[in-house]
Amino acid sequence: MNKTSSLTFEDHFHIPDDDLLQILSLSLSRGGDFSEIFMEYKTYNFINMEEDIIKETAERISRGMGIRVISGDKTGYGYTNDFSTHKMRKAALTAASIASSPPVQEASSLFRSSFPHNHYPLLESSDKVPLEKKIFLVKECYLSAQNLDPKINKVKVSLTDMTQHVRIVNSEGLDISEARPLVKLVCLSVAERGSQREAGYSGGGGRVGLEYFSQNLSPEEIGRDAAQEALELLEAKAPPAGEMPVVLAPGHSGVLIHEAVGHLLEADFNRKKTSIFWDKMDKKVASSRVTITDDPTIPHFRGSYNIDDEGTIPKKTLLIDRGKLAGLLQDRLSARVMQKSLTGHGRRQDYTCIPIPRMSNTYIDRGEHQPEEIIQSVKRGFYAHKFQGGQVEDSGKFTFSVSSGYLIENGKLTTPVKQATLIGTNIDILNKIEMLGSDLKFGLQTGTCGKEGQSMPVTDGCPTIKISRMTVGGQY
Amino acid sequence: MTDKDRAKLTQLAERLVAFGKRNGADEIEISIQDGIEFSVDVRFGNIENLIEAGTRALGLRVIKDQKTAFASSSDLKLLTLERLVKNAVKRASLSSPDKFSGLPSLPSDPVDIPSLNLFDPGITRLDSKKKIALAMETEKIALEDKRITNSHGASFETKEITTVLANSNGFLQDYDQTVCGLSLGLQAGETDNRVEDFWFSTKRHFQELESPEKVAGTAVERTVRQLNPRKIKTQNAPVIFEPLMTSWLLGFLFACVSGTSIYQKTSFLVDKLGERIANSSISVIDDSLMPGLLGTSPFDAEGVSGQKTIVVDKGLLKNYLCNTYAARKLNLESTGNSSGIGIHPSNFYLLPGDIDPQKIISSLDRGLILIRTIGHGLNPVTGDISRGAFGLWVEKGEIVYPVSEITVSGNLGNILNGIEMIGSDLDFRSAVSGPTIKIQELTVAGQ
Repeated sequence: MNKTSSLTFEDHFHIPDDDLLQILSLSLSRGGDFSEIFMEYKTYNFINMEEDIIKETAERISRGMGIRVISGDKTGYGYTNDFSTHKMRKAALTAASIASSPPVQEASSLFRSSFPHNHYPLLESSDKVPLEKKIFLVKECYLSAQNLDPKINKVKVSLTDMTQHVRIVNSEGLDISEARPLVKLVCLSVAERGSQREAGYSGGGGRVGLEYFSQNLSPEEIGRDAAQEALELLEAKAPPAGEMPVVLAPGHSGVLIHEAVGHLLEADFNRKKTSIFWDKMDKKVASSRVTITDDPTIPHFRGSYNIDDEGTIPKKTLLIDRGKLAGLLQDRLSARVMQKSLTGHGRRQDYTCIPIPRMSNTYIDRGEHQPEEIIQSVKRGFYAHKFQGGQVEDSGKFTFSVSSGYLIENGKLTTPVKQATLIGTNIDILNKIEMLGSDLKFGLQTGTCGKEGQSMPVTDGCPTIKISRMTVGGQY
Repeated sequence: MTDKDRAKLTQLAERLVAFGKRNGADEIEISIQDGIEFSVDVRFGNIENLIEAGTRALGLRVIKDQKTAFASSSDLKLLTLERLVKNAVKRASLSSPDKFSGLPSLPSDPVDIPSLNLFDPGITRLDSKKKIALAMETEKIALEDKRITNSHGASFETKEITTVLANSNGFLQDYDQTVCGLSLGLQAGETDNRVEDFWFSTKRHFQELESPEKVAGTAVERTVRQLNPRKIKTQNAPVIFEPLMTSWLLGFLFACVSGTSIYQKTSFLVDKLGERIANSSISVIDDSLMPGLLGTSPFDAEGVSGQKTIVVDKGLLKNYLCNTYAARKLNLESTGNSSGIGIHPSNFYLLPGDIDPQKIISSLDRGLILIRTIGHGLNPVTGDISRGAFGLWVEKGEIVYPVSEITVSGNLGNILNGIEMIGSDLDFRSAVSGPTIKIQELTVAGQ
């Protein structure tokens, strides 16, 4: 695999190792601690079906390189998609301009290395599958949603597949590359009754080949789930408002962990002391039932990678260990400044972006309770089922948006409700986690996380969770 | 961009249009964007990140037998591009025929590009030292205020973009634009009781940018006013939206009047053309021809001339915003809002009223000033809104304390009918913008 991806690079870049070494050398010509060249070649295919027809297809090619110099806690960055010597030198000099000391010695040769495990071996790589076959998958999904019920009056299905080839060389002599596949099939369905309309959404994919759709999750199932959700929402009422016990469904609710905890354990926010967690390492920040992990090595998951975007082999990283703050997600810059070891969480959207610490697949560990037992323990409360997403601030205030849920009355799920917002402060909520289910699940393999304008594929997961009190925003 | 470079890009676009026609495309469109960007982030008086770069990308659309295929590339080698064109023609045959597909006809009234004032040569001449100094100065002024306890840093950025568009109906035009921006994010309070906010100014012309004093002063004021927040009881209350919040609400309205969401039936405003959707004080306009503003452009991504479109006229829904495709689907005319694959706003704004925003606050006996929201919670299909929020609580016309950990919820349709007062403070800070407004009632959930 490594061999193929480097061949691809030679096909698309035509830059001999000697030239790369010269650029690294030029980028350290004004001093600095470290320099790096990130090369990226990405192909992307897209199919969109709506109104019963394959409406359009698209193909994209993106190719470029980013040159970075780190000097202390400062970063200089230049990028280009023009590989003329002149443009590459210009990008190197831009990056170099961040430092102002005598030139430093850089690596005199590159050592090609590889990663120990391939977390996404493919049977049927999407870039080798003819378009006709992909169109067939899209149609299966579409028809399954449309045919579920006459009230479904609108369906939209899209399939995107891409392969991102990256090669990273740096002034320490590292030379490593990989190819990352990413596939996503999503379905949006609208159900209509009278003047009322509701939308349902579902999807699947990951770092998989197209065999996923026959072995793991079928297009029919995705279509049916989306349509089912829209139909259920037709029956849903407005949510209650105020503070109450909240039970989070397994899987989709992982977004709470992602927002409430994950972001604020990214090392940059702690290095800069803007995160509420910066002075709490080894301290108790959550109920002792809570253990949270970020794992970039889960096979075929959307958030996984064999090397991060700085060439580091990623590690499964413990963030909160039975209630105590145990670790941070590091990239090279923060690890260097904070004198910590790398965890392999330096990610970037593409060659135009500086890598920053990011999550991959983040989850809260299972507990010991049966999910039914958790629901039965609530007299009056809110059950959050599906989520649109969430957002957090460094101060720990976060929200997340529930697209569908249920009222809990006397230990039972009763009226379906829609469109509620949950809000809280992270440490407060982490301490109010009263029960954890034994049913750890992951959410849809379609999630994207945004930070500083960079979008990254991620997943998150959790078991059924009971939070003793939380503010639910609905109608009063 | 030099005339020579411009000529090269124009020739490339023309050449690919001809190549597409020769290789079986009925219609073909080529767009090229060439950009130079600079950005510097400073924090506590040091440069954190310095980025400077130039990139080019080309996008294309091919239509054959009423079937459409798109492609794009950042590799501008002729061989790569010709292969992409050929692939697109081949791929188009696998799509389904769609009688609404196709390029717009050649505009009869091209817009005078220089009069739009989109380009500031002063930005291209600004040297890096000056740009870094601006960011440094802005943060320094803010940090002099002792109530500020941490900084997310200040940033200054500039962009110069050249756009070339050519199609097989004979369209061939290009234009240059510049943008510059200064921003600052701050925190106040101690670790476990932090509050945060930011301020920014973005303009096409450097001279129009807010000064470091103004950006810093506003960011400080916006941050410290949130210190020591309280929680409030769950209730229904009148809510004042500050201009940035009105802009956010208008962004949601835009999504609901976009022709794509109308023909896809994913908007609560489907089939409402000509009907009352707001009270008679509300007029909303989309205008791409206002000189020097951020949402201004001479033509959209398909070459349809810029225009002024009344979206809501005194409460009546007058127009959906369309690209060529959505317009044909809905049997309307394009309003020049194509973003390439979808629809985007030009300068999309709520017509201001004549009330001083301070007077709006004075008029509030008891209620909330909404200053920030976080999260998602917008559903265009129903118009439902539900967001995490930060605000200032008002009693008898005076701000009494900040509030946090609340949510606001309501429905856009009801909100548009419940706007009681409209301020005079429209400043076109972003492409989508509005003044201060007062809304009769929203649900505010707290304790």
